[in-house]
Amino acid sequence: MARPLRAPLALAAPAMVAVVVSLVPLAYLVNTSLQRGVQQLIDEIFVSRTATLVMRSLALTLVVTGACAVLGTINAWFVVRSSAPLRPLWLMLLAMPLAIPSYLSAFAWVTWIPSLNGYFGAAIVLTLASYPYVMLPVAAMLRGADPQLEDVAQSLGVSPLRSITRVTLRQVSPAIWAGSLLVALYVVSDFGAVATMRLETFTWVIYGAYRAGFNPTRAATLSLVLIGVALLLVVIERRARGRTTQRIGSGTARHAVRQSPLSLTIPAMGVAITSFGFGIGVPVISSISWTRSSGSVDWAQVWSTIAASFGVGALTGLATVLLALPVGILLARFKGRLNGFTEGAVYVTHSLPGIVIALSVVYFGISIARPFYQQIPLLVFGQMIIFLPLVVGSVRTSIEQSRPVYEDVARSLGTSRMRTVFRVTLPLAVPGVAAGGALAVLGAVKELPTTLILRPTGLDTLATSIWKYSSVSDFGAIGPYAVALMLLAALPTAVLSTVTVLKVIK
Amino acid sequence: MTTALELTGVTHAFDDTAVLNDVSLSVTAGKITALLGPSGVGKTTLLRIICGFETPQQGTVSINGRVVAEGGVSIVAPEHRGVGLVPQEGALFPHLTVADNVAFGLKRRRSSQARSRVQELLHLVDLENCADRRPAELSGGMQQRVALARALAPNPTIVLLDEPFASLDAALRVVVRTEIVEAIHRSKATALWVTHDQQEALSCADDVAVLLGHQVAQHGTPVDLYRSPNSRAVAEFVGEAVRVKGFARGLDATSVLGEIALVTAQHGDVTLIVRPEQIELEDQPNPTTPRGEVIASRFYGHDGEIDVRLPAGDVVVARLHARLLPAVGSVVALRVNGQALAFA
Repeated sequence: MARPLRAPLALAAPAMVAVVVSLVPLAYLVNTSLQRGVQQLIDEIFVSRTATLVMRSLALTLVVTGACAVLGTINAWFVVRSSAPLRPLWLMLLAMPLAIPSYLSAFAWVTWIPSLNGYFGAAIVLTLASYPYVMLPVAAMLRGADPQLEDVAQSLGVSPLRSITRVTLRQVSPAIWAGSLLVALYVVSDFGAVATMRLETFTWVIYGAYRAGFNPTRAATLSLVLIGVALLLVVIERRARGRTTQRIGSGTARHAVRQSPLSLTIPAMGVAITSFGFGIGVPVISSISWTRSSGSVDWAQVWSTIAASFGVGALTGLATVLLALPVGILLARFKGRLNGFTEGAVYVTHSLPGIVIALSVVYFGISIARPFYQQIPLLVFGQMIIFLPLVVGSVRTSIEQSRPVYEDVARSLGTSRMRTVFRVTLPLAVPGVAAGGALAVLGAVKELPTTLILRPTGLDTLATSIWKYSSVSDFGAIGPYAVALMLLAALPTAVLSTVTVLKVIK
Repeated sequence: MTTALELTGVTHAFDDTAVLNDVSLSVTAGKITALLGPSGVGKTTLLRIICGFETPQQGTVSINGRVVAEGGVSIVAPEHRGVGLVPQEGALFPHLTVADNVAFGLKRRRSSQARSRVQELLHLVDLENCADRRPAELSGGMQQRVALARALAPNPTIVLLDEPFASLDAALRVVVRTEIVEAIHRSKATALWVTHDQQEALSCADDVAVLLGHQVAQHGTPVDLYRSPNSRAVAEFVGEAVRVKGFARGLDATSVLGEIALVTAQHGDVTLIVRPEQIELEDQPNPTTPRGEVIASRFYGHDGEIDVRLPAGDVVVARLHARLLPAVGSVVALRVNGQALAFA
């Protein structure tokens, strides 16, 4: 059924704010890269080193995204549809890599196997760190999908495995694509893992350019190329996702529990154990052994660092959810030019490495918001730009899952369009919104480059502390912070994964 | 008699595909009007136009004498139209209890008036004991009744029911349908009931509008519609029809089924339409009585049908009491009871 084309102002206005917020970095980039003129810019782009960087980053992105799509989807199926026991626990365990920042994982892997340095190591670490970005939305969508379709397929003579690939995967393909896009964007903008693995990709080179020689033009130019790569990813995802598959028919969904055959459950469990064992086992065991080797620990400092991390994380989560809600609703329920524009702007920002966003916010702060420069509001602002796409994506997916007819009924019962949003659309989207908020808190606590650059002088978060000690290989000092970060990040991760897929297992 | 809903010349198309073409319809207050039509004829679009989710490209929609959409412009927003919607399968809000669902459209939902209104409606649909249940805990039929209570709660000018029983099984459907009709009558509400099921329309509605070829083909009482349809298409759509060729001379006609009286006068070659229940077995045949061979027999329990092949090759269907069903292969004599419809 045709949906209204034009969005109400109450949604369009925040969407425009989101676009403006997301475009601040771009304005900075373009401005900076043009400082030495257009010819210089073109020369800079077409040096062969840039091409090598593009190929290396793309190769890493492609491999990691493919691996995450497979791992994430299998794990999602395992926790939602398989007949394994203790699936709620499995879900939480499998989402745990979200609690571990890539720089910490990478550091654990290279201290364990030093020869892993480089491309191979970065690919392993990034895959194990980011498959939950596919797993969680796919699991949520699997929960909403009608399990009877698998029964129907099997009754038509299709094997259990084939009915999954022919029916179930098609049902959840929008979530697989959306999750893969997040992974791809995460990989091109990751700084921690590639820096620790000494793999020269965009982010590390940009960081080098910024740190070493005050060469903002080169850093900005490389970032522009990176935007091109990200745009390409967004376009690919939009093409591939095509039409969304909304559930058709059948009123209030009843969640039938399916017993899947052991022949599928056991291999899937193997995949799950492997993901968990390497994704969590390596960094956790390393961190514990570092802690043991450490001498005296300044606990007061550890606690104040923890408080700072979570204070910033909570503020970022709140700000991001408030902005993401109207944008998610707009993208899920309305069509029109504003949508493509908003979606593109928001996602492009996510592909910018944290370092570039941080630099742009510094510039923005110095020229426009000087009172906030190197203050908490600007740090939160920078992190909000980074995490907006994650939260928008999860809000949007959950709204797309609820049937538009609920809103029609509410309207015909005398509820205005905006009131309908608050009374029907949002309550139905609560799981997705909560998941999005948790993602933002988690991301902010782990976020390294943005915090490094935008933090108020003297503010140490867990991320900056770990970075500081790992860059000098001070295993003893790093231990308490690593353990604290993982333990504390485990909490929102558990909430996130459970809320996302809560009703499955009831 | 006041008019609750008036459509005049409503025309609508999606991407050049006509969905509604010059539809005019008026729904009398206090009555249940069925909108009967085959699938794909634009029934659901018409409902969405009345609700205000679509704006018709031409024509006027008035509710309770107030123009709500005219000439491609929506004048009144859906929430101000006073139209209660009961969608297919109910669409109860899954995050709210039954009572909260019913209270959804009420002003000041926590007030004691609102609470007693909810009680009153749950009583109306006979679900007082389910107030605190979740929609997922109710059967399909109960969900439909709650959906009706929710639509009626704010006292809408008109309730729109969109194929409300499509998802229920046949036995349950008749029961729930009766309950819903009674509830609507008790609440003295006006209803427009969209359905593709002839039996449902004829048995539940006070008035039936037949939507054929994207237009209202006929609008009248169920009896009128069945006994004197104004076109062959309507005649064949509202009930099972047996078609034979005939030659009319005023109020009667000759045909392979013998001499038949006509509802309206006709002359010349015509197509005669009789209902299967009008064809009976003749127990005192004479040489001119039409005869035929029974080629199929269907037993339904309370009654049954036979297909009879006449010597000229026509096959006619007769509905008989179950104990009168002749064996397949036997030759029977037939007579037509009552009047036939004749269309040129």
